[in-house]
Amino acid sequence: MGTIGEHLWVGQLGNAFIVLSFIAALFSGIGYYFYSKEVLTSEWKKFANTAFSIHSLSILGIAGTLFFMLFNHYYEYAYVYQHSNNEMPMQYIMSCFWEGQEGSFLLWAFWNVVLGNILRKTIDAKWEAPTMAIFALVQVFIASMLLGIFIGDYKLGSNPFLLLREHSEYSKLPFLNIPDYLTKINGRGLNPLLMNYWMTIHPPTLFLGFSSTLVPFVFAIAGLWKRDFTTWQKPALTWTFFSIMILGTGILMGGAWAYEALSFGGFWAWDPVENSSLVPWLVMVGAGHVMIINKNKGGSLFMTHLMAIASFLLVLYSTFLTRSGILGNSSVHAFTDLGMQGQLVVYVLTFVFLCVVLLIHDKLIRVSYVMISLLMLFVGITFGYKINLLLTWLALSFIITIYSYVKFFPKEEEEESLYSREFWMFVGSLVFLLSSLVITYFTSIPVMNKLFHMEKAPIKIADYNLWMVPFTIVALILVAVTQYFKYKKTDPKQFIKHISLSGILAVVFGLSAVIPLYFLKDYSLAKSIDKWNLISYGLLFIAALFAVFCNLDYWIRVLKGKTRHAGSSIAHIGFALILLGALISTSKKQTISQNTSSKNVASLGENFNAQKSLVLSVGDTLPIGNYLVTYKGKERKGIDVFFNMDYFTKDANGKLVKAFELSPRLEDNPKMGISSHPDTKHFLSNDIYSHITYGVVSDTKEVKKDAYKEPTNFVGHMNDTIFADNAIIKIDSITTNLTEDEYSKNDSLLIVTAVLKATDINGKVYRATPKYILKQNMVMPDEFVLDELGLKFVFWKINPNEGSIEIQMAEKVSNAKDFVVLEAYMFPFINVLWLGCLVMVIGTIVAIIERRRLNKLKAQ
Amino acid sequence: MKKIHILGIVVIAVAIGVIFTSLQSSATYSDFTEAGANPETEYHVVGKLNKTVPVQYDPKINADQCSFMMIDNKGIEKQVVLHKSVPQDIQKSEQIVLIGKMQGDVFEADEILMKCPSKYNDGKPQV
Repeated sequence: MGTIGEHLWVGQLGNAFIVLSFIAALFSGIGYYFYSKEVLTSEWKKFANTAFSIHSLSILGIAGTLFFMLFNHYYEYAYVYQHSNNEMPMQYIMSCFWEGQEGSFLLWAFWNVVLGNILRKTIDAKWEAPTMAIFALVQVFIASMLLGIFIGDYKLGSNPFLLLREHSEYSKLPFLNIPDYLTKINGRGLNPLLMNYWMTIHPPTLFLGFSSTLVPFVFAIAGLWKRDFTTWQKPALTWTFFSIMILGTGILMGGAWAYEALSFGGFWAWDPVENSSLVPWLVMVGAGHVMIINKNKGGSLFMTHLMAIASFLLVLYSTFLTRSGILGNSSVHAFTDLGMQGQLVVYVLTFVFLCVVLLIHDKLIRVSYVMISLLMLFVGITFGYKINLLLTWLALSFIITIYSYVKFFPKEEEEESLYSREFWMFVGSLVFLLSSLVITYFTSIPVMNKLFHMEKAPIKIADYNLWMVPFTIVALILVAVTQYFKYKKTDPKQFIKHISLSGILAVVFGLSAVIPLYFLKDYSLAKSIDKWNLISYGLLFIAALFAVFCNLDYWIRVLKGKTRHAGSSIAHIGFALILLGALISTSKKQTISQNTSSKNVASLGENFNAQKSLVLSVGDTLPIGNYLVTYKGKERKGIDVFFNMDYFTKDANGKLVKAFELSPRLEDNPKMGISSHPDTKHFLSNDIYSHITYGVVSDTKEVKKDAYKEPTNFVGHMNDTIFADNAIIKIDSITTNLTEDEYSKNDSLLIVTAVLKATDINGKVYRATPKYILKQNMVMPDEFVLDELGLKFVFWKINPNEGSIEIQMAEKVSNAKDFVVLEAYMFPFINVLWLGCLVMVIGTIVAIIERRRLNKLKAQ
Repeated sequence: MKKIHILGIVVIAVAIGVIFTSLQSSATYSDFTEAGANPETEYHVVGKLNKTVPVQYDPKINADQCSFMMIDNKGIEKQVVLHKSVPQDIQKSEQIVLIGKMQGDVFEADEILMKCPSKYNDGKPQV
């Protein structure tokens, strides 16, 4: 079967680049390996560098080819068909590039290449070969993710240049049978949920962050390999803080995205995907601090290696978590399985294996370990028992790591003083490492379910908070006081004197804020676990203030206000502000959309009191927090339906004054269904955040406004209530023209009148008097029309035994007004969080610049 | 005993504490039958929406409650009362995870997680 108009050469070019990049990375790794052995030094160097350059150009070539295909809408390629379409605005072509898994691996490879080339050009000759050998090895693995070739039945990687008709899922599409199908089809387009500016800046930043963890990793591995545990740390330190800055920015952008564009109702939800970027950052921060200890005082060698290595391994592990489909039910935005689960596991385990091998200094043990590992791999492949073998191997590797640490690693002769900076910085790094391990453990529950055949549900947000708050308190106190310790030894009296001012200020200001915030009202109402939470919030608040004051004080009094030296103080202030803002805005988040129009709450069950939503009909004005809100109506723009709301405040005379407008929207997305996007009004001291939880997106214009809907039957007693769209109707009384006796005596006319009181939205009361007319035992139909409210009543039955009557009610079509269900929150002082982010990034940049300046000075 | 050893012990103690408490406290995936046997315990029940029975949601009466029928993975069907507004995509869901407790013959859920066919993945062909 022939096809017309396919641009096969583009894919062939792309595939050529992929194969070339893979082979070049492999050769470059081999080259650097021999170069590092210092055999035939110069020639291997040239070989390795050339191979790495070819690899770099090939990665650029792959990216360029993919862009070219996306720009020209070559839908014969599955990736282009899946992620783009003709209508796509140009700025989102970038987003299409990394929407899919293959593209995001490519983005990762791209950043690695950029960083690898900078590293290669700036590094000392001594470290070039070993670091670049590891670097190239990592690139071999990443390039293999793009290969998409079959080895036997096993598919290695997933190829972005696969043709639509070769794709396992798309190849059955009927239009592929038409030879000139390309003239007839359009792509499926980018997921519109991702069509916002966050999608253009967040993924590249985050992936640069992931890439940046690779540099400290290759340094640490090279250190283990060459048995030189110290000299790599100085050049690696700048890279480590670069990584902290970029990864931190990427994570915070993710939080801002969630808050601004998605309807999580907050900025952080402990989602596995969020955790997987937070964990490497925590470890990297720990690594950076132990490296500073090492630079200033020496020691902490094992921890520097452990943490520099762990950060990258955790990036790999989280890649495995989010890309393998293993998270399944526990995350809203895990990727689906592309069949790379096995490959990702191999990838992670290979690097664990490599680290352990390099750690063992005894030849016999090393050879035994390698042999045992290979044997276990062989048994696993041929006979199964994969899970048991994996666990045994991990335990073995762990034991050997501990053994090597005790046996071979250089250790301090002297114990650190309790009054030394290095001791407390070490403790702080340990807190970061430990908290990252706890988060990793919590996030890994789906993995453990698989390994141990358990059925554990994912950990809840409240439990994450419960565990993380104590860690945070300890971290903040250390952030506050540690810099007042000197390296090696500090005079305790001097230390107390230094921190006492900040301590007193923190306690005074803290208590005066915390007591009204958490203890005056909330504490006595709280249950036991919540009581503990409130105490921990109070402590966290004071600790955060303490950290801010101490660092300000250090900057002003000790550093004499010199900004150049104050990078760490500024970053620490930022860190404390982030936590302070997160604490206040989360713990004092107020649901302002209490349901004031709800009519019948008591009947819904006693354990139901969590009223969160507000029902708003067009034209309604209802109180919402300190405001009044009016729903003006909806308008559709493309796939978005905006629900326009005016917010009013009362001025001094009690008159309503419009304060602001919010237009939360529902996206009526043909690909993903309906999704809700919040709209937030930002004030200096708080945010008013709102999103639609239920709304009608289809515009069904009612033609027959005067028609009545199908009547509904109500069975009721005296004083019962009937709900209409626009009124509440009470059965007020029932009167008859005859007594029962009189009626039974003569066969004449019986008229029973139900007196109904209908109260409309404005509180105005109308009377309706439908009549039940019985003439010679025949019910005569009689209709009562309440014109003002557009209601029709027919009183048609009396059940004397039950003492109830039955009334049919019909409502005019025009009575049913458009309405939405709105959820709105007030986040107090969330700006403290964003300010903290900015301050922390600025502080880190100041520190990096200063470090580079000092390094240059020393070099001269 | 060195300070570093004390630190090591603290670290190990915290680690053991975390593992134990999380194993004790965290809920498990289960089905309606088990949830019905332990009405005090919170469960995550996995199942499918019975799409032949309409989802009931009347925001005029209560905007924070909806009700539907779900069939769990063992094939047992129960009424579910979800204390939230109705998720807009519920009719398209392939799989539902509910978090809540069994109260008599009704499952009272506070949280819902849904798997929809094309959410965040590359999407299956829609022909």
